[in-house]
Amino acid sequence: MSEDIKEEMKRLREEIASLKEQLGNVTEMEQRRRHGIYIDVGERMRDYMGDVMESVAEGIHGELDKCVFIGPRGVRIIREKGEPYKDEEETETNFPKAAEVMSALGQEHRLRILRELVRGGKYANELQEKLSEITASTLSSHLKVLEGAGLVVQEKVRGRYLITMPGRTAYNMATRITRIIERGNQE
Amino acid sequence: MIWQTYQLDNKTLKANEPITLWKTENGIIEISKGTLAKPIMLDDQRKGYVFHGQSKLLLDTIVETEKGAVGKPVEKEMTEPFLMLGDTETIQEHLSTADKQDLEIAGYENEQQLTARAKELCDRFFRRTSVCGHGTFGWNHGFIFAFPNNANKLDVLIAKDTNLIYRATDRVFLSNKGKAILKTPGEVIIAHSGRSFVVKRSCCV
Repeated sequence: MSEDIKEEMKRLREEIASLKEQLGNVTEMEQRRRHGIYIDVGERMRDYMGDVMESVAEGIHGELDKCVFIGPRGVRIIREKGEPYKDEEETETNFPKAAEVMSALGQEHRLRILRELVRGGKYANELQEKLSEITASTLSSHLKVLEGAGLVVQEKVRGRYLITMPGRTAYNMATRITRIIERGNQE
Repeated sequence: MIWQTYQLDNKTLKANEPITLWKTENGIIEISKGTLAKPIMLDDQRKGYVFHGQSKLLLDTIVETEKGAVGKPVEKEMTEPFLMLGDTETIQEHLSTADKQDLEIAGYENEQQLTARAKELCDRFFRRTSVCGHGTFGWNHGFIFAFPNNANKLDVLIAKDTNLIYRATDRVFLSNKGKAILKTPGEVIIAHSGRSFVVKRSCCV
């Protein structure tokens, strides 16, 4: 009888150990889910994802090592040797592209469209509601011009329009220049 | 699963109507009516298809950051055979046996020609993809698509629920709800819950 109990105890211990292991796996998976993108596609794909993330991290580290020095007296930004800082005015400009961008900006309705998109991505009908003074066909052609200049991008699946990074910079630049000129006129 | 033991079914099927193979708010893959489908079998079960016909991939590899959107959508009309692994049951009812005429429309003289091209694609995918580098592949749910590109390589899309990985010659895009990473030859953009981090060209490795 005691042998049976011993056997049973041994079996139960093994079962508890197995359950603990399973619980550990589940907890680990759950933690990984909470801390980032996680797709269970097997070890090889996880390795691949790891490689991509590692290359991104290495790139960031490499760049920081080159240009940021963290010492006892604080943080110093170092510019790479042999590559002196070039002023915007000194760098080569693609004038045809610059003219295209300026032309896209040079229309009141298009600036209004950009202002709406700065506030968040919108569908064409939402833009239409906000800018009721523009007809649907005119709005569509304005959006095409903005898209062509790279200031706006349209999602192909949902159809939302989004302002791009250059679009936002261009819009900010236009409004800033306008404010400076207006201030100058007032003075 | 040992994918090196996969087989192509002897049957050749065709789409009876346009079919949406995969759709999320980020992307969509559709095949047109008449597209040929060669089932990929593993242990006598259908695990996927090689499709050949007029097909379309739309994928918004765009990352929204607080400084504006980065990236461009992918819009690809696929005329070459491409591979799909994943849910075969839901599309099965929209497929029927293809005849000689269907094959001729797609440019094949006989079934052997289609089988040879499908086999070539599968061999390339299962051999070169790191997913199956050791012959094992722990895929249970979701989809994997592989499309030949102009550089004679395979663009790979992996999707499961809201998780998405797209790897092409010009970009790698990973996304899940509010999180996204886009790696292009020029930059890497990491966005998470409205905040973002951009690493420009010299950092990209």
